[in-house]
Amino acid sequence: MTRYLLKRIFYMILTLFIVATITFFLMKLMPGSPYANEAKMTPTQLEIMNKQYGLNKPIWEQYLIYIGGMLHGDFGTSFQYSNQPVSSLISARLGVSVQLGLQALIFGVVVGVFVGAIAAMKQGTWADSTATVFAIIGKSVPNFVLAVILQYYIGLKLGWFPIAGWGSFSQTILPTLALSVGPLAETARFIRTSMVDTLSSDYIELGKAKGLSRTEVIRKHAMRNSMIPLVTLIGPYAVALMTGSMVIENIFNIPGIGEQFVKSILTNDYPTIMGVTMVYCVGLVVILLITDIIYGLIDPRIRLTEKEA
Amino acid sequence: MKFKKVLTAGAVVLTSAAALAACGSNNSSSGGSKKSINWEESAEIPTMDISKATDATSFNQLGNVTEGIYRLGKNNKVENALATSTKVSKDGKTWTFTLRDSKWSNGDKLTAKDFVYSWRRTVNPKTASQYAYLFEGIHNATKISAGKAPVNSLGVKAEGNNKLVVTLDKRIPYFKLLMGFPLFNPQNEKVVEKYGSKYGTASKYMVYNGPFVQKGWTGSNLSWKLQKNPNYWDKKAVKLDTINYSVQKTPSTAYNLYQSNKIDAVMLDSQQTKNLKNQSGYTLRNTAATFYLQYNQKKKLFQNANFRRAISMSINRKALGNALGGSNTPADSLTSKGVVNYNGKDWSSIVGSKEYSLYNPKEAQKLYKKALQETGIKNPSFSILSDDTDAGQKTTETLQSQLEENLKGLKVSVSNVPFKTRLSRSTSGNFDVVVSGWSADFADPISFVDLFTSKNSNNNGKWSNAQYDKLIADSKVTADTTKRYDDLEKSEKILLQDQGITPLYYKTEAWLVRPDIKGIVYNGAGLNYNFKNAYVSGN
Repeated sequence: MTRYLLKRIFYMILTLFIVATITFFLMKLMPGSPYANEAKMTPTQLEIMNKQYGLNKPIWEQYLIYIGGMLHGDFGTSFQYSNQPVSSLISARLGVSVQLGLQALIFGVVVGVFVGAIAAMKQGTWADSTATVFAIIGKSVPNFVLAVILQYYIGLKLGWFPIAGWGSFSQTILPTLALSVGPLAETARFIRTSMVDTLSSDYIELGKAKGLSRTEVIRKHAMRNSMIPLVTLIGPYAVALMTGSMVIENIFNIPGIGEQFVKSILTNDYPTIMGVTMVYCVGLVVILLITDIIYGLIDPRIRLTEKEA
Repeated sequence: MKFKKVLTAGAVVLTSAAALAACGSNNSSSGGSKKSINWEESAEIPTMDISKATDATSFNQLGNVTEGIYRLGKNNKVENALATSTKVSKDGKTWTFTLRDSKWSNGDKLTAKDFVYSWRRTVNPKTASQYAYLFEGIHNATKISAGKAPVNSLGVKAEGNNKLVVTLDKRIPYFKLLMGFPLFNPQNEKVVEKYGSKYGTASKYMVYNGPFVQKGWTGSNLSWKLQKNPNYWDKKAVKLDTINYSVQKTPSTAYNLYQSNKIDAVMLDSQQTKNLKNQSGYTLRNTAATFYLQYNQKKKLFQNANFRRAISMSINRKALGNALGGSNTPADSLTSKGVVNYNGKDWSSIVGSKEYSLYNPKEAQKLYKKALQETGIKNPSFSILSDDTDAGQKTTETLQSQLEENLKGLKVSVSNVPFKTRLSRSTSGNFDVVVSGWSADFADPISFVDLFTSKNSNNNGKWSNAQYDKLIADSKVTADTTKRYDDLEKSEKILLQDQGITPLYYKTEAWLVRPDIKGIVYNGAGLNYNFKNAYVSGN
């Protein structure tokens, strides 16, 4: 297990290095400069600014300087937000996106499992059809459409929750609901399919024959086995949700990282682009590793090392 | 049965959570006292450092939390702020300002030295200010920015605590307007040095001398407030206690918040503008920005003035405005509407060309045929470059269909690219026709007409006219105001007659502002919002 982990960590670092390199050079291919007032600056002034920020150096030299800084934990300072270190910009905003993403993920998965399980157990009844329709709608309606609807009806017309903003728990409810509809629908669909399969297995029949109650059969046997495919689904979903959604963040005035990332690309804010990309990338590789480990834990048939296999 | 219980329990938990959360929502409503207003900004504040600011949000904040020599009142009227009197030498090159006694928000005495420090800091190439070009004309400013002269050789000095003397290399006719722009406001050296690289990156790393002080801005957050500054020299004139700001990026959210009384002003998008035109509080703001076409003069087709005129006359600007939605106004001049008032008239109506900027397809067709004969081109075609924004796409689509319909045989293609790409292609001359926009930094026609002098880096199409260049150069040196405006008028008329550029529309913003909020001064150029005398009526 330790050897496996070390090997995986080595590959993770290699992946991060490759991503950093590719992103850096792709980023430099983008047209324009990182200066907000570029349209009004004279060529001489642009030259002075480039010198000031080291952008007049050859790209390979800029790359070495950047990688060197990154190894020391220095992501540089933002161009958009004058003098703000990228690290503090990310830390101020990432927490918000992670909180919202986790809330949406937990709510979506829990309710999704619940709905999927009901649909599977009541297969062919109105409950199943309702859950299926719900899952299709949830999967096909974009979350921002739902966000606008929730905001208008629940926020403005009924006044149950704040229309927008960030700070209190109540302000997180509507964006959480809007964001969770995707994972909810997906989970429900997955759980239903996988549980229908499981429920027709021999060991479930055996459990029932042994006199176990319906709830016990579901909880102890059917549920655990139906959850395995869900783990693969949740990993990438977790990263996607926690790294922020630009549209949802904009609709609900949430100071998250998603919108910031898009804006940094549009404004050629090189240090921020690199910083956020690396944070995303670390998040993704770590979560994939955790997913693999969890996989092994919930399904003993899946082994982590070749030796054990 | 058991399952039903679980279901019921789940439902109860969810409902209770929702009910609890709903109770909590009362805390989140923003301040509603009668001496406070809730205002929206469309973007985060990038910086509060005067020397580094480049955008409207930053300057709007700085203009209300700092105070300079002058403050701009209604219609860009220059009013004394820290200055009590101004003396100008006969040649217009030496300005002496007498400053009143005043204090910083931390209690420090504000002196003329704070202006000297601020200006030197901005032009210092090490500061890397993107706005240093506005100092051009102040003695040695350009040389210092280029690193070719020492910073202390800048033409500004303090004589005692209350006298500021500015020396110019040449007369700057709009110098007074510049002195009302927050870029020229003072900075407290002690505070700048104390905070170092943190200066201006959050409310707490700043010191103020304006009508308000800023609280709660942490660097990139979406809400903060301005509070009345007890150390402000004219605090009696300040009626508001608080301005609560929030950043609104989605028009529908902002309008929902306006309807639920959470914010008091909202900028409308094109659809909302259409629907809410007759609602009370509907306000139009001239943003001092004009959108226009630039023609690449390296291409034979565009060297022909009749061809350019034919294009201009084939454009139905009203239909373009309708396609864009919103409140944009058709343009027939380069200088935007509502920027300069001269002899009681809006400058755009003085220079606006009715001859070539009006929709006249018949005349356009004639000019077009003539142009083809003159150039010998048989199958004319070109591409229009613009941004990939909604407005950019609607502009190119509308122009494409109008031009192809009105000029028989002309083939027009469109190219919509991201803003930065459009900018870099414009600068490098990689286009046939480009849709460009310009907003003025100060309310003077020169901030527009200067763009199209032969050597200006923003003259992307490289249109050139010797007489035009001469008139602009003359306008910059003459001491006679009437002659100056004559020169500027003549020059812009030449540009429009020749259709060196083709004006399309003046950008106008539509807002809903709660009708009981009064006294806000809005100017399209320079500092947009001045809240010094704003108040809520009935209080």
